[in-house]
Amino acid sequence: MIRRIHILLLAAALVYAPRVASAQLRVVTSTTDLYDIAKAVGGNKITATHIGEGYQDPHFIEAKPSFVLQLRSADVWAFVGLDLEIGWMPLLLEGARNTRIRQGGSGYLDVSTVIPVLDRPQGNIDRSMGDVHAGGNPHYWLDPQNGRRIARLFKTKFTQLDPTNSSAYDANARAFEARLNAAEKGWQADLAAIKGKPVVAWHTSWRYFAEYNGMNIVAFMEPKPGVPPSPSHLYGVIQTVKRTGAKAIIMEPFYDRKVADLVSKQTGIKILILPPSVGGIPGAVPDYFSLMRYDMSQLANAVR
Amino acid sequence: MRITRYFATCLLLVASAARAQQPDTIRSRSKADSIAKAVRDSVELMNALGAAVADTTQRPTVPLRPQGGSTNPRLLPDFSAVGDLVGDLSPKGSTQPDHSRLGVREVELSVQAVVDPYFRGDVFLGISDLEKISIEQAFLTTTSLPNQLELKIGRFLLPFGKQNLTHRHDLHAIEYPYVLQKLLSDDGLKGTGLWGSRVFAPFGFFQEIQLTAIDRISPATDGLTTAEDVNKSLGGLGFSARLRNYVDVSEAANVELSFSAMTGKRDQPLDATYTTLVKGGSNSQFVPRDVNATIARQSTFGVDFTYRWRPLQQGLYESFILQSEVMHQRNERNPALPVAECPFGAGTCGVPAYAGPARDYTGAYVFARYQTGQRRFIGARYDYVQNPETNGRTLNAGSVYLEWFPSEFTKLMAGYEGLKSADATLSNRLLLQAVFSMGPHKPHPF
Repeated sequence: MIRRIHILLLAAALVYAPRVASAQLRVVTSTTDLYDIAKAVGGNKITATHIGEGYQDPHFIEAKPSFVLQLRSADVWAFVGLDLEIGWMPLLLEGARNTRIRQGGSGYLDVSTVIPVLDRPQGNIDRSMGDVHAGGNPHYWLDPQNGRRIARLFKTKFTQLDPTNSSAYDANARAFEARLNAAEKGWQADLAAIKGKPVVAWHTSWRYFAEYNGMNIVAFMEPKPGVPPSPSHLYGVIQTVKRTGAKAIIMEPFYDRKVADLVSKQTGIKILILPPSVGGIPGAVPDYFSLMRYDMSQLANAVR
Repeated sequence: MRITRYFATCLLLVASAARAQQPDTIRSRSKADSIAKAVRDSVELMNALGAAVADTTQRPTVPLRPQGGSTNPRLLPDFSAVGDLVGDLSPKGSTQPDHSRLGVREVELSVQAVVDPYFRGDVFLGISDLEKISIEQAFLTTTSLPNQLELKIGRFLLPFGKQNLTHRHDLHAIEYPYVLQKLLSDDGLKGTGLWGSRVFAPFGFFQEIQLTAIDRISPATDGLTTAEDVNKSLGGLGFSARLRNYVDVSEAANVELSFSAMTGKRDQPLDATYTTLVKGGSNSQFVPRDVNATIARQSTFGVDFTYRWRPLQQGLYESFILQSEVMHQRNERNPALPVAECPFGAGTCGVPAYAGPARDYTGAYVFARYQTGQRRFIGARYDYVQNPETNGRTLNAGSVYLEWFPSEFTKLMAGYEGLKSADATLSNRLLLQAVFSMGPHKPHPF
């Protein structure tokens, strides 16, 4: 009897094991940038989907039940962290009822843990400072060096969960970095044109971009993160633009440009709608490399 | 509205600029200086935040937490408070239960945390002048059951209809729709018991079944005494079921159509107070008890529909919700009545007669809300309900709302309501509301 049970168990294991081995990792990411890098590293060994779109403000995504369906069978949930998704992620993770991707689960991947974070406040903070992120500025993917860190993190996570394909993940991650290195060489002239040039940014989302390319943010359209500009603040921005000779207002496609138009009309400053994420301008920036290249070249052209 | 805002901004700018171009006066210089300082401050704030990073090349170690206090602040639960202030400027006097013109309707305190590897806990306490302190919700939720199963144990807002699951301070109107107030509860129907739910998608769209078994379907009515407790037998417990169906119509639009039902027993009045014999005491002997109520079954059925539209790219500035719920309540007409025992007690002699609802009730509302700017909304609602408090005579109301969010954590609302009550009199209500939230309040369900 015991022998029969052993035979049955062995047969079941043989039938089941190849399915596990051949199954693709199911990866869901909060943003299109993480999605694109995950796809680059995972290749055909994973299936990937994303919650937010590149032309959508990632702070304010609706926790739609249809996202729950994506998450309930996910092996990996990769998110930006630093409270970027605080307004909707808890609902989705709770609704998904998937222990693999809950905090502490093997597939819970807070990407910010490998990022040298900017703007991390020291000491006490409160809401009078606007939508300040207690853990620091979460818009880190706009620095290619962080793109590399994200790719390495995905390689490590995918290898941990699917060791049989570790060589593929390793090769893909190396290929991603090699491609990024090559792309960087291509925009060196743009970097030189941008460095030190005064610009105005709408939101703090361009801090990492500035850290990378050396542009000098002389004013923010938002008086505090997430707070819409008041008339008196705009007047001050206009004075700053006139004083510094700032060349461009950089803003995301999901902000209302009427207020920026007002500043532009008063000062002649250009308005530059830059996609902050992959897919931010449909068709124009389909992947991470084209996103960085597009933003860099557009900005360089504006400030030259 | 956006055009108005645009012109207002232009006017302010022009006015500011004009003032700045006047001959140098102390006042204009001072104004310009203060504005320039404000801009410098905003940049300096960003720079200070950036400069505050000790070493950006190092991998962060421990998430930042406030200093001092607890011995292990990383294990502290989330504490938050919500204040709900209501002003009633209705022309014929306050229409609030406590007749206040300006009052604190409720303060909600919440404590939320993961309890252990298997459960998370949520506690919501309501504090108000009327109810003092009450346990609004307190439940454990499982976090590790397989097959998309989830159980809750404790007190929770009953999953019946759409708006009953929303905390009152988080509504897009100042009060619950009348159909909820009259057929369920003034401030959200809660149940204490067990909640089980499962998510599934056999047809490719989101579906969820929510089942509850609760202690009773309504709190005991003040002043009513029954011969036996409503929930003495298991058949007296309350039971509810809700089936959610959610479909994405497009990237920007979605619909939800859900069905709810609940049944249970509750106390209903008799025509007078009678004395009856009930089993009691340690020897289970019959003892007399004065009763003025009996137990009758009540069942409620509901359908709710929600259409949402929010374009992804301009979703900060534009959105639209259309929502409706229809409810039908069935009441048992001939419940078992107590036997009056004339020789005992002070009760009326005679045959008790049932004085509870002798009919069923139906009600509905339709609500729409449109976003006119980043922080501004306008809404309108039409209410219809056969009011149980007036034996089913119809109550109609139409209301409009202006809603403004200075930030994600504060809400200011003004509402006008024209109310046609059972006796066909028309009354006007003018309500104001201010809501503020402090601390990490968990987002409310979609």
